[in-house]
Amino acid sequence: MTGLDPRTKIVMIICLSTLAVFLNEPWPLLLLFILTLVILLIMRINFFRIIMRFKKLLPLLLLMLIIQSVFSAGGDVLLSFQGVNILTTNGINTSLCILFRLLTFFSSAMIIMTSHSRDYVLALVQLKIPYEIAFMVLVSLRFLPVFIEEIKDTLVAMQLRGVDLQRIPWRHKIKFYTHLFAPLLSRVMLKAHQLAIAMEARAFRVYRRRTYLRLLHYSAKDYVAMVFFITATIAVLARDFLY
Amino acid sequence: MAYIDIENVSFCYPGQSRFVLRDINLRIYKEGVTAVTGANGSGKTTFSKLLIGLLKPVKGRIQLNGKLLSSLTLAQIGRQIGYVFQNPDKQLFCETVEEEIAFGVRNLGLPPERVTQKVREVMDYFELSRYAQAYPLSLSAGEKRRLALAAVFALEPGLLLLDEPTTGLDPYRKQLLGDYLDKLVAANRGVVVISHDQKFIDRYATRLLRLEDGQFIEE
Repeated sequence: MTGLDPRTKIVMIICLSTLAVFLNEPWPLLLLFILTLVILLIMRINFFRIIMRFKKLLPLLLLMLIIQSVFSAGGDVLLSFQGVNILTTNGINTSLCILFRLLTFFSSAMIIMTSHSRDYVLALVQLKIPYEIAFMVLVSLRFLPVFIEEIKDTLVAMQLRGVDLQRIPWRHKIKFYTHLFAPLLSRVMLKAHQLAIAMEARAFRVYRRRTYLRLLHYSAKDYVAMVFFITATIAVLARDFLY
Repeated sequence: MAYIDIENVSFCYPGQSRFVLRDINLRIYKEGVTAVTGANGSGKTTFSKLLIGLLKPVKGRIQLNGKLLSSLTLAQIGRQIGYVFQNPDKQLFCETVEEEIAFGVRNLGLPPERVTQKVREVMDYFELSRYAQAYPLSLSAGEKRRLALAAVFALEPGLLLLDEPTTGLDPYRKQLLGDYLDKLVAANRGVVVISHDQKFIDRYATRLLRLEDGQFIEE
């Protein structure tokens, strides 16, 4: 499956994300997540290693699930405090739906990692997306890690000037986090400007029509994968709308 | 007693088999100007990041003022070692030049009038007063370098760690920086300078360390 055409992978991601948006029951969403994990396994992507990088966000996710659970009324009450329903069966269902939906979004996006970013530009161009837009997508993918690195550097610089982010209370912490965005925005604008000059200096958009040395071609397994994913998505959505 | 004590420290980046630093044993004192030189990619910046706890040694240990570096937070380390990044853009995050210098000074817990006085002194010394209300990232490369130095100098740490501090500075400002280093040394503070600027090193360094094949050679 790693040798699939990038366009097929884009279709797979769109299908999986669409299903994650429209499905509204924990069990089908769990099945969808398992299917996505199986695809990642076949594509030899280590999902768990990547998700562990985001372990710091887990308390936030847990908090979100608890809030969802408290504010989703209905169903049997499992836990209440002074007349206020804390935990209901509906609340648990809603929380599980959100959890599996987020996991499916995140894991399906990982399919992107199995092709080179240049191939996605080619794929988008062959899908009749203007080259400028396709190139912008490539640039945004390329610069995302750079900006994450810059946020980390600013955090380090703040701490080295005496701010103990691990020990100060949250209400003060938020004030310090506001310092992250002004320089980041400024650097993004500066980088965009420099990049535009560098690209124009290398004759970007000089000719209206671009030619490509290499073109992408669908193989039999691309057709099989696309037919399977599109048919399955339409079938599940149709079943949901009809019944 | 050594201010920083490095014992058998080795380091390699995750996923790489090549050791950037191998079995380093070194003592850095709170006195004089120690210059660290070496070819590009020899591990000078990696060494500086180990000294301020941004990277953890794969082997060995580093002690700062008698305490294990790994047991201290970045804020605690920052109060004892002033670090100026190789790229000053990375350490400027406030809305004005004045605010940039005051940010760290305020965290020292000084009274407001002392903070204002200190900020004015440092801005005057580094000739940044006329940019007091300017946005730091809109300054020229040399001015940003001076601001990064000023913001760290204002904290008066026991040891200053400067990564390529003379890049982008004109000869007059290099001398200004060197004179300030001399002043710090006279006030019983230590300085570690990572630099390729041989003229600057010859003029100000009291100790010279050359990094070669992951090990230091004292010259």
